Amino acid sequence: MRQLGLILGLMAAPALATAQGLPGLVGGDYTLTNHNGEAHTQADPDGKPQLLFFGYANCLQICSSVLPQMADVADDVAALTGQDIRPVMITVDPQIDTVETLGPALTAYHDDFIGLTGTDAELQVAYDAFSVEKEFLFEDPEYGPVYAHGSFIYLLDGQGKTLTLIPPVLSDEEIVAIISNYIG
Amino acid sequence: MRKRNAIAGLLVPALMALGSPAFANEGERVQVTGEIMDTWCYFSGVMGGPDAVVGSAHHTCALWCSAGGIPVGLLAEDGTVYMILKIEEDDASAGGDTQLTLASHEVTADGMLYQRDGLNYLVVEEVVSDLDITNLNAEDLGTIPPFAIPKGER
Repeated sequence: MRQLGLILGLMAAPALATAQGLPGLVGGDYTLTNHNGEAHTQADPDGKPQLLFFGYANCLQICSSVLPQMADVADDVAALTGQDIRPVMITVDPQIDTVETLGPALTAYHDDFIGLTGTDAELQVAYDAFSVEKEFLFEDPEYGPVYAHGSFIYLLDGQGKTLTLIPPVLSDEEIVAIISNYIG
Repeated sequence: MRKRNAIAGLLVPALMALGSPAFANEGERVQVTGEIMDTWCYFSGVMGGPDAVVGSAHHTCALWCSAGGIPVGLLAEDGTVYMILKIEEDDASAGGDTQLTLASHEVTADGMLYQRDGLNYLVVEEVVSDLDITNLNAEDLGTIPPFAIPKGER
């Protein structure tokens, strides 16, 4: 809590800050398919604020840290503010992250986690909106293709408007402190 | 990769824009000299203290982390850390050719500084100078962590 106090003390952002001004933080509209096979846009179906990450479910690098952290942060934000927040991952590997495989992989982290996939063209719209670059690195004989990809976490409101970005190197407490300045 | 230690908390002020507004929409042109560094290992503390996760000692791990998606940072001479969003024409914040080429190098970067949520974000428009790796701490510390280099290659 000492660490959290430090962060909160440093930040005095208005409750409703916007993401304007920071390059690459525009966001935008997309329509993809969730892990239940339903169409899913940038707007959350229940109007919940969202934590959005681009990755892939079997990624052993940054995703293996960020995905469980998003789940923990969602719980911490709910406990602190009473506001539910939805963790969402858009895949960078639609060949492996399918409607069938995304759900079990992501809901293992959090019941509210939503995984999104789509056609290459549909996904590219989302990548472009958030300036996410992905690059095939090599084929792992056990886990399949390995990609380099953007790794910032984006905070969206319930309508899908981008509020801010969060580096994936912060602690849970630091991320919760940032989110709390925008919601709750 | 999920475990962190107390060192992370001690380093946070380096990342935070002390005394700055919580966020500023307008960028400010700056020129910063420092090391292109691995932000994960620096802030998590999982691989050792801040002096151990920079320079030639940590170069190999910095490459792995960048390729694995960890955004690179610029550790300035005054200890401030800037999260890099882009370097010149390379749009990636991690893993791009430019980011990998410059890993652990001492550079002077000219670009736009954006302060948001108490954090410093840097869009590098030009690498004015690249002095290669100048912190040769591997001579004293060896490779940190040793397993960054595959066993058969050590």
